[in-house]
Amino acid sequence: MTTGALNDSGTGSPAPKQKGRATVDTLSIGCIAMVEKDGRPRRAEILSIKETKSGRQFYCNFDNFNKRLDEWVPTARIDFDQDVEWPSVEKPKDGKKNAPPTSKKSTVAKKNVTKRAVPTTREASAAVSDGGTPHPWTDFVDSQKPTPGPDGEEKLTLALDLDATPGAEDDDPMDVDEVAAKAVAAKTDTQEEFSREEEIEKLRVGGSMTQNQAEISRIRNISKVQYGKYDLYPWYFSPYPEAFTEEDVMYICEFCLRYYGDIKSFTRHRHKCTLQHPPGNEIYRDDYVSFFEIDGRRQREWCRNLCLLSKMFLDHKTLYYDVDPFLFYVMTSRDEKGCHLVGYFSKEKESADGYNVACILTLPQFQRKGYGRLLIQFSYELSKIEGKLGSPEKPLSDLGLLSYRQYWTENLVEILLEYNEKDERCSIESLAQQLAMTTADVEHTLQALKMQVYHKGEHKLVLPTKLIERHKASKEKQKTNPKRLIDPTLIQWKPPVFTASTRTWGW
Amino acid sequence: MRPQMGRTTRVKKLQPRAPQPILRQDQIESDEYDSLQGQYKVETGVEKSEESEIHLQAALAGTGSDKETEEIPAPPAQESSDFDYDALYSSVYEKPATYIRFSQTVEECTGCQYDMTTEDDTFLKAYNQKKSPNSHLSEDDFERIMESYEDTAQIQAPFASVDQTQIPFDTMRNSLSKQLDSKYQMYAKDIYDHWKARRQDTANRPLQPSLKFETQPDHDDGDPYVCFRRREIRQTRKTRARDVQSTDKLRKLRKELDIGRELIRMTSQREEYKRDLLATEKHIFEQRQKVKEAKNRLNIKGDDDDLINQVPRKRKAMDFNNQARGQQPAPHLRIPSHRSDGRPLDADLETLAEVMARKENIINKELEEKVMKHRQWNDKHIDVTREPLPPVHGIGNGSAFRSATAQYQLLTPPSSVASDSSDHPSPSKMDIDPPAFRFSSPLDEEETQAQPAYRRRFGRLGRLWIDRRGMTAVNKEPHEIESDRWKYDQDDDEEQPVYEMDPYSTTALRFRSTIPLLSPARRVQQAESQRPGISSSPAAARTVSVSQPAPT
Repeated sequence: MTTGALNDSGTGSPAPKQKGRATVDTLSIGCIAMVEKDGRPRRAEILSIKETKSGRQFYCNFDNFNKRLDEWVPTARIDFDQDVEWPSVEKPKDGKKNAPPTSKKSTVAKKNVTKRAVPTTREASAAVSDGGTPHPWTDFVDSQKPTPGPDGEEKLTLALDLDATPGAEDDDPMDVDEVAAKAVAAKTDTQEEFSREEEIEKLRVGGSMTQNQAEISRIRNISKVQYGKYDLYPWYFSPYPEAFTEEDVMYICEFCLRYYGDIKSFTRHRHKCTLQHPPGNEIYRDDYVSFFEIDGRRQREWCRNLCLLSKMFLDHKTLYYDVDPFLFYVMTSRDEKGCHLVGYFSKEKESADGYNVACILTLPQFQRKGYGRLLIQFSYELSKIEGKLGSPEKPLSDLGLLSYRQYWTENLVEILLEYNEKDERCSIESLAQQLAMTTADVEHTLQALKMQVYHKGEHKLVLPTKLIERHKASKEKQKTNPKRLIDPTLIQWKPPVFTASTRTWGW
Repeated sequence: MRPQMGRTTRVKKLQPRAPQPILRQDQIESDEYDSLQGQYKVETGVEKSEESEIHLQAALAGTGSDKETEEIPAPPAQESSDFDYDALYSSVYEKPATYIRFSQTVEECTGCQYDMTTEDDTFLKAYNQKKSPNSHLSEDDFERIMESYEDTAQIQAPFASVDQTQIPFDTMRNSLSKQLDSKYQMYAKDIYDHWKARRQDTANRPLQPSLKFETQPDHDDGDPYVCFRRREIRQTRKTRARDVQSTDKLRKLRKELDIGRELIRMTSQREEYKRDLLATEKHIFEQRQKVKEAKNRLNIKGDDDDLINQVPRKRKAMDFNNQARGQQPAPHLRIPSHRSDGRPLDADLETLAEVMARKENIINKELEEKVMKHRQWNDKHIDVTREPLPPVHGIGNGSAFRSATAQYQLLTPPSSVASDSSDHPSPSKMDIDPPAFRFSSPLDEEETQAQPAYRRRFGRLGRLWIDRRGMTAVNKEPHEIESDRWKYDQDDDEEQPVYEMDPYSTTALRFRSTIPLLSPARRVQQAESQRPGISSSPAAARTVSVSQPAPT
């Protein structure tokens, strides 16, 4: 069970979860157990089980930890001395949706499903036996399914899991494949289904790049990626061909971003591949980085490859629809081998919601080096050229929020200090105009920084001493170690114009 | 937001446009500042369920505190250990001087699209061992053959993985010979066997792993491996799109029905008009009958115009007008139109030949007019350029230069030397100064030396021109008027300086040509007088204008 549900609404659940001791053999998917993480026990949900040579391993999602910290743990790290919360599987109740006591619950169920799709609520479990409708954890089932390989035997099938689940015996034995096939397509909770349709519709018309995570497999499917000089350890699921889930390592060409499971194939490819920079037009170059603009429609394969790559590090990215309605702004660093992809952001060709960024990512090997800031600044420089106010598409990831907060804070504090010194007033709108930020983003940042106050009948902006000091400190630091910035004069870019025909997102 | 200090004043709404004062924290009382906090619930933009994650919370708390921003832990990347980067990424990159413009796709930059696997490699090595060294199959060629097989299989049997179609070798060989050199044929069969075996191992799927695209939109909706769906397909499934389609169809149908109804309405009206027309015709006929009787009775002689319709002349125009507007009641216009349909039209018909002849006449006339005009305009103008325009007629006599023999020492320029055939020998010609016009046709100068020669010719508007050449213009006395003018042009009456100069040097000539010889007012008069004047002009570089003073 997720913390959210457990800590608040979950406690009010009319059906308390079954608890009890478990053994290695009875511990099943959906159980919540205490698992050691970073030296201390944490509540963790079992999302998958596999057999390895060294014994059974459990894929755990830890309470209040981001999914990128999910991991396979050996049996030894699980505390079997403590009670385990079983995924509650109960007898079906007819007309449960109309029943008054469940009406309140349905929101809980929805919340659960949206977040982690854990089958711990009555609805969810009831759904299982409700005329063969699929499980809320079918995402997981799906991801587990692609294991009929040579090592297929190593992993437990879902059927086995169900059998091992206490209370699951009451269910009709269901064809696992069928469940998987129906999968999310037929959610029992109509509300849920509706919101899903809405979401797909939003994807279709809005060209959004994000998607509710409940729709995507929750289990990392690629264990290791060899990319350029680096080994990357993916954080999230990415829909590379299923065959790659069986590979120990996947090779990705760092220029064309093609993927290979076979080292020979990859070597052969490297002999033939002539790309040395992203396949688009360079629109910015300084002595540190270059930016390339790439049209998703023109460079379909490259952009797809980029999306697949970045999906491994972006939880909320969706690859549900094709890349046509997007432009990709790719930041590279140069050396004698070529222009290496450092990070990128995608941007809708036409954003109905005024977003200037759909997805934004710095590859892990370049993170924490200030590149994210450059990407963010560049996205706002483009907005300035367009004469628009921009905002990143929501939801932001945790890392995304921090990066944006930092960028916004720095710039706002800088401007506000100037106003303060001149003893002038400043409106939120003028701040937004100067930074090409939306007024909402300005407001939220000011509020988050505790700068927006209502004092003596008047709204005022107060610069906290801490921020001023930090600003001064960073100014000092910049004298010795200048921060990399985008020089707007080096941008050679005109906002691209698309005719109606090039804007159609179909083929 | 709650009112502060217990007062019940309402908090004004925060206006984004409203300028706000900006203070530092030390410019406001600190406990007051603290009490002002917590008024806002901040939107983070992060998924609600993830906001509570402990690492994010710690980091966000860090943003507001003095501590270093806490970092969110993430699985790190590391440099590959057992990986020869330089071998695999061997080519060296040269940074171009200008910003890169690039539009090739990945497919165009990666050569052969089949990349052989370890399995292929094993096969190929074993295969080559059996072959003689000079018939070894290279990796590149192997890939080309495999690519051809894969492509052909994709085209011939796109659903091979479902229906297990096996492409026979003959088909493969045919397409191979089309796509590649004949030298590959010797490997075709062996590689085909290998290809087939590998295909069978992978359930007849394409050998290279490919992304899972949608197959049945309803079925694979929840499959997380299915990605990059086409948006177009969704659109056709959407009810709204279909609604629009149906509405459009209905609207079109309605429009067509309306048109049909209008047609019928108009037809019925036409028939009514016809009926009215008949009635009116009958009425007219009866009236005429009466007129005729009356005429006979009263014994009025005259033409019988009023007994027949007599509007044949205007018939057409009226007909069109009225029909187009459909305003005028039919009876009146119908009568002429009836008649017009028959006889008069016949009479009016012209043969094509007639029309052509008339057109040609017009053209000829026009041409003649043009010719006349041109002749008039060119009257008295003699074109003596080296290659005169063709329609020079009636001239040519006396247009050539004639050498002057005895008269070249005359005080006045021998203007009329050649004027025995002249029509207008004018005594006043000496008064006429050469106009600013300079004649500069490139004459051949071979035989023009020594012997001075002149010619007279008529220019446009009947102006008379005298061209001279071969002038040995030595100590020629200037004409009175001109010399006078120059005499009084001196600044002092002291003895005039003597300048040595070559009168025939081009610079001197050019300079002299810029010296105004007439006051502007007088020249205008001259031009306006339109009188055919005689003027001498420097026919060539060596021609010396009379009016120019010789160096003294």
